[in-house]
Amino acid sequence: MSYHFDWSVLWTGQSGTWLLQGLITTLELSLLAWLLAVALGIISGALRTAPIPPLRWISTFYVEFFRNVPLLVWMFFWYFAIPPLLPESLQNWLFDRGVEFWAGCFALGVYHGARFSEVIRSGIQSIPKTQFEAALSTGLTLPQAYRLIIVPIALRLIIPPITNESLNLLKNSSVALTIGVAELTFQTRQIETYTAKAFEALTAGTLIYLILCLTIAAIMARVERRVAIPGMIAQSRAGEF
Amino acid sequence: MRRLVFCLAVICVMTRSAAALWAETTLEKIERNGTLTIGTRTGSPPFAYVNKNNDWVGFSIDLVEKSILPVISKKVNKPIKLEKKESAPPTRIPLLTSNAVDLIAETMTDTQSRRDSVDFSLTFFATGAQFLVKKGSPVKGIQSIAGKRIAAQQGSTNARIIRDRVPNAKLLEFPDQPAAFQALTQGQVQAYTNDGIQLAGLKAKAPKPDDWIVVGEFYSYEPYGMAMRKNDSDFRQAVNIGLMEAIESGKYFEIYDKWFGPKGEVPYPLAPETKRFLQMQVVPK
Repeated sequence: MSYHFDWSVLWTGQSGTWLLQGLITTLELSLLAWLLAVALGIISGALRTAPIPPLRWISTFYVEFFRNVPLLVWMFFWYFAIPPLLPESLQNWLFDRGVEFWAGCFALGVYHGARFSEVIRSGIQSIPKTQFEAALSTGLTLPQAYRLIIVPIALRLIIPPITNESLNLLKNSSVALTIGVAELTFQTRQIETYTAKAFEALTAGTLIYLILCLTIAAIMARVERRVAIPGMIAQSRAGEF
Repeated sequence: MRRLVFCLAVICVMTRSAAALWAETTLEKIERNGTLTIGTRTGSPPFAYVNKNNDWVGFSIDLVEKSILPVISKKVNKPIKLEKKESAPPTRIPLLTSNAVDLIAETMTDTQSRRDSVDFSLTFFATGAQFLVKKGSPVKGIQSIAGKRIAAQQGSTNARIIRDRVPNAKLLEFPDQPAAFQALTQGQVQAYTNDGIQLAGLKAKAPKPDDWIVVGEFYSYEPYGMAMRKNDSDFRQAVNIGLMEAIESGKYFEIYDKWFGPKGEVPYPLAPETKRFLQMQVVPK
């Protein structure tokens, strides 16, 4: 009664094309969502440490609201709850142009933005307060001190946790299949539909995710070594990657 | 290096014991656990769904409970409990092959390519794919869906046919029926395609059934079978005998009437040729 593996389903027929299309969609989705998440994360992370209470409240609200609701709910929210608020002609225009991709992108970006924000906040808070005071005493305004001194240092300190979050974002992009985005996991299921060979298709998907994540981790490890500020972050040992 | 060898040894031992488990037949597994585990749906009325009282019921579930379960109980000489697990088109074959469930009893179409991976029981229901649309929609069937946004269930045979026959239709696939219906309600898609009987079920359960209409000729043939692990003929025999006895004794038609009769959940009269087809599958004792 054992299962008969037939790996040839992965390279016969359209499987290869589907996997490639899925990979491209996953990369597009993750990259756009990542850019959004980093932008939101930097702004909100910086605001959470700002010495102006209302700004702190706004970003605290953003972080707590968006990171404490499951990603799946956000996917449904952006796809099902937002379009009905728009005028009907605009709705139709959007639906004809694959709004599910953009809904997925927003859901992923805004959700992970809230998580990035916490990482960036902890980075900023790990910088000694004197650094901030020194920046202000040179005549920089508050926004300038953030933009030119604090945030650049923080970004260099937080590369390891940011790598972690980025890999999470890439893997979480698979949730978008629930609103019909044809990303990598979706395509592996498609292969299963056509060939009824689930294990082969899932293995192919797993390997692609693994290779993708290992590549990103390796690149980030190099970046980390290049931009590390001596004395502020432990140098990763040579040969670790 | 030594650690690597150790890891490999552990993996070997684990696969060996797993292989020993696989060697057990389904009937032996049922006897050992005292339960028959089926994979079924929560959102496919009236075949399998969660009703207003929060009970997990349906035509497929009734068929298993009232016709197949007694045969299995008799075969293993002890009362067997029924356990239900959620299955969906992308997960049902892995659920079976991984031993998580013993039988898929829902709305699974028997196909030649699926028969490479699993075995099927007799056909217990036959339908074909159609479209569910808002009343007054320009979509009238498969001939009028070019360029339209069409929802389908991921991993279903319908999605595959649409992709092959009308490649310029904009096909959107959802993992389950409620999400696809939500997309239809909100206009993300202009039609939802699935097997006609399921669309009739969805329409009957919708908040305003009169707003929706099932259109189009059947553009596919969808014979439903119950799926099980391959090459386990004793179990398959028990399932088929259960179905045959139910058809022969008329119990099948009682259950049919309960769900699809004039007073049933989804009125859907049994066509005479379908009835004849069901009866002809019954082989003599």
